[in-house]
Amino acid sequence: MTDQWASANKRWAVTQEQLAGWLDSLAKVRTIIAPRDVSGVLLFRKVADSSQVAWGFGRTVMSVKEAFLPSTERLLTIHKTGQEVRLEVELAEGQQIIFGVRPCDARGVRMLDAVFLDSNPVDPYYAARRANTALVGLACRQVGASCFCTATGGAPDEAGDMDVMLYETGEGYLVEAVTERGRFLIPGGEWPQTRQPRPQVQPPEAAFTVPAREDWPRFFNQAEYWDRMAERCHSCRVCAYICPTCRCFAVRDEALPKPGEYERIRCWDSCEGKNYRLVAGGHRPRSVKGERIRNRMFCKFMYFPEQYDLDEAACTGCGRCIDACPVNLDITEIVTELGRLA
Amino acid sequence: MYEPRIIAFLCTWCSYTGADSAGIARMKSPANIRDIRVPCSGRVSPELIMRAFNQGADGVLALGCHVGECHYDTGNHRAAKRIPALHALMTYAGLEPERLRLDWVSASEGERFSKIATEFTEAVRALGPIHWKMESRRLEEAAKRMELESESVPLPPADCAGKTDAIRLKARELLSSQAVECVIGYEVGPRGRTRPVFIHSPEDVERLVWNPGCVNNLTSYLDDKLTPVGGKEPPKPVAVVAKPCDSRAVNVLVAEHRFEREKVHVIGVTCEGVAGEDGNLQFRCVNCQERTPVVYDTLVGAPVEGRASDVPARRIGQMEALAPAERMEFWLGEFDRCIRCYACRQACPLCDCPVCLFERDDSLWVGMGIGLDEKRTFHLGRAYHMAGRCVGCGECERACPMDIPVCLLNHKMAQEIEKMFGHRAGMTVAPSPIITILSGEYKEG
Repeated sequence: MTDQWASANKRWAVTQEQLAGWLDSLAKVRTIIAPRDVSGVLLFRKVADSSQVAWGFGRTVMSVKEAFLPSTERLLTIHKTGQEVRLEVELAEGQQIIFGVRPCDARGVRMLDAVFLDSNPVDPYYAARRANTALVGLACRQVGASCFCTATGGAPDEAGDMDVMLYETGEGYLVEAVTERGRFLIPGGEWPQTRQPRPQVQPPEAAFTVPAREDWPRFFNQAEYWDRMAERCHSCRVCAYICPTCRCFAVRDEALPKPGEYERIRCWDSCEGKNYRLVAGGHRPRSVKGERIRNRMFCKFMYFPEQYDLDEAACTGCGRCIDACPVNLDITEIVTELGRLA
Repeated sequence: MYEPRIIAFLCTWCSYTGADSAGIARMKSPANIRDIRVPCSGRVSPELIMRAFNQGADGVLALGCHVGECHYDTGNHRAAKRIPALHALMTYAGLEPERLRLDWVSASEGERFSKIATEFTEAVRALGPIHWKMESRRLEEAAKRMELESESVPLPPADCAGKTDAIRLKARELLSSQAVECVIGYEVGPRGRTRPVFIHSPEDVERLVWNPGCVNNLTSYLDDKLTPVGGKEPPKPVAVVAKPCDSRAVNVLVAEHRFEREKVHVIGVTCEGVAGEDGNLQFRCVNCQERTPVVYDTLVGAPVEGRASDVPARRIGQMEALAPAERMEFWLGEFDRCIRCYACRQACPLCDCPVCLFERDDSLWVGMGIGLDEKRTFHLGRAYHMAGRCVGCGECERACPMDIPVCLLNHKMAQEIEKMFGHRAGMTVAPSPIITILSGEYKEG
């Protein structure tokens, strides 16, 4: 969504108070989702005003994925009376703004766009949320211990996927309108424009190189390698659920409390779970841990770019899976060692 | 007037006929009760009771034959053990204690049936409808977490180098002699975090370490390693490095016939406690009495003195001091963060059902959604399933990305089971007392 708005004359310098005031005024007319301290856990949640924002936040536990692809979503309500069946679809309504999105998460949204928006059939549920939502990004001033966005083609100050981008300057923030939608949100007249350049973040050098896509097919049959890598895996799903780009879901019809009413829901699923792709008859195409880890890696670095004809992998380098994994399975380690295998 | 919905599970041999007797004698019983006829009160698994509450029952009554009069000798023993344990859990989670009742009614006791049914219905009526469900606004308020007591204890010094050497030595010996197929131990990962490692050859034993970061419970891998997969030869023995808490899980697993004791060589390590993120002792270690493994084939390290703290018990006290509605709000606020990633279940050495009850494809016990109802059902169900089995290693809570205090549930159940049956999970090779018959500890009334 990058366009000519990202030019020097669309840049403002604001103080922390001005920024908070802006959020407060936006909160009166739109839903604001921002990093919030929920019982000690940093999560993107609705905020009533700027005081609820966890200012100075680092990386949230969950990515912004859940704002577009909720963990559980009702696709249909099914009303059955006698022989008559009526289906009802309800799409998300109301404008919302997600504040404080990190560049890696915004890239994750771009990946989801490729799946749900830019390829047929378009997912109406996702599309409705996406159309209603503006992203206000915040560049990272420093890079976290497990971050590796530069290795997967991102940068800690990448603004391309945002509507509005913020940079911390020390005295306050530099605000940049990236898209027209972003420009519309900014109270231009009240804020001083600036020609001040963006603060530079020294991006860390890429810690490793992802093997070229044409090398990947050769890794597929290295069962011994994958089994060794997966041996410590507990087959939980935390890596997929916190991932900004993991998008597998399962669909099921369930009865509602009212007789004759049912819902069709879709929920997150994960290729790391033991039941992944279980089919009638009990066959599990990815029944071994090694195959499931392989699936996760292949999905990110080969299947995704191939299927959606993109140059980048479905990994934004946010590093969440590395830290959240209870047994310290490390995606960077797996990919690095794979490079040696090539 | 508010009419509660009450589900009564009635044993076909006694209370069901008892209800009939009441009717024949023209005694009045409230019309709020929906009877479900079961072959025995032992058939009333706690899951059924939880399901009834989930489906909107305001109260659940389970009536069986008096102890000693069971048609199947000991069927009602199971009810007598399980339902009080469930009652303790549900009460702790915020259900008013009056909403669940277990009692005994024989076939001829029509009057007793009528009395219990009336009493129970009136008690539930006085409480009003059940409020498992909460609007998101209320949840947000509840999310202001109650400050749980805590204790910060510096990590005691430990001879990590000596223990590392001893573990490596033993591992080399076991692998060289081919006594075991692999040694499950700890290594330091590329980012400096200690993590599980599987050593298959004697050349690799230098990767093994012992340090305060050895948090994982490695016995959680045993079931997987020692279960024969489709037609393959029986698995070869493995060795596992086990902390004292972890070693208790070996006992439970053996008692539950998950594998034979001979299949595991336990390298037990005496433990000074493991470190949390702040470098201090993890909370699970502050009240650890067993600093020496309870079961081992090789013991590494000198005996360590246990450490006592009443803070974990005080935490439970804090919870119990709250009113039921406040407790429910607390738990719902906590469960609300759950994403059903099952990290807690997968990290647990004892959560090893081939298919988890809460993950069945038919949604029989709980739906697939990642909503508050489902999450509550999962967490309470898991806590119940861990009763008398949980060894308190605390891995479920550590694995949780959302910091849900899962151990606060498990710890309460452990306390309850110890109070009821004098049982501490895994101290000996014994199954949970709530799956066995009574041995004289039950007194009616």
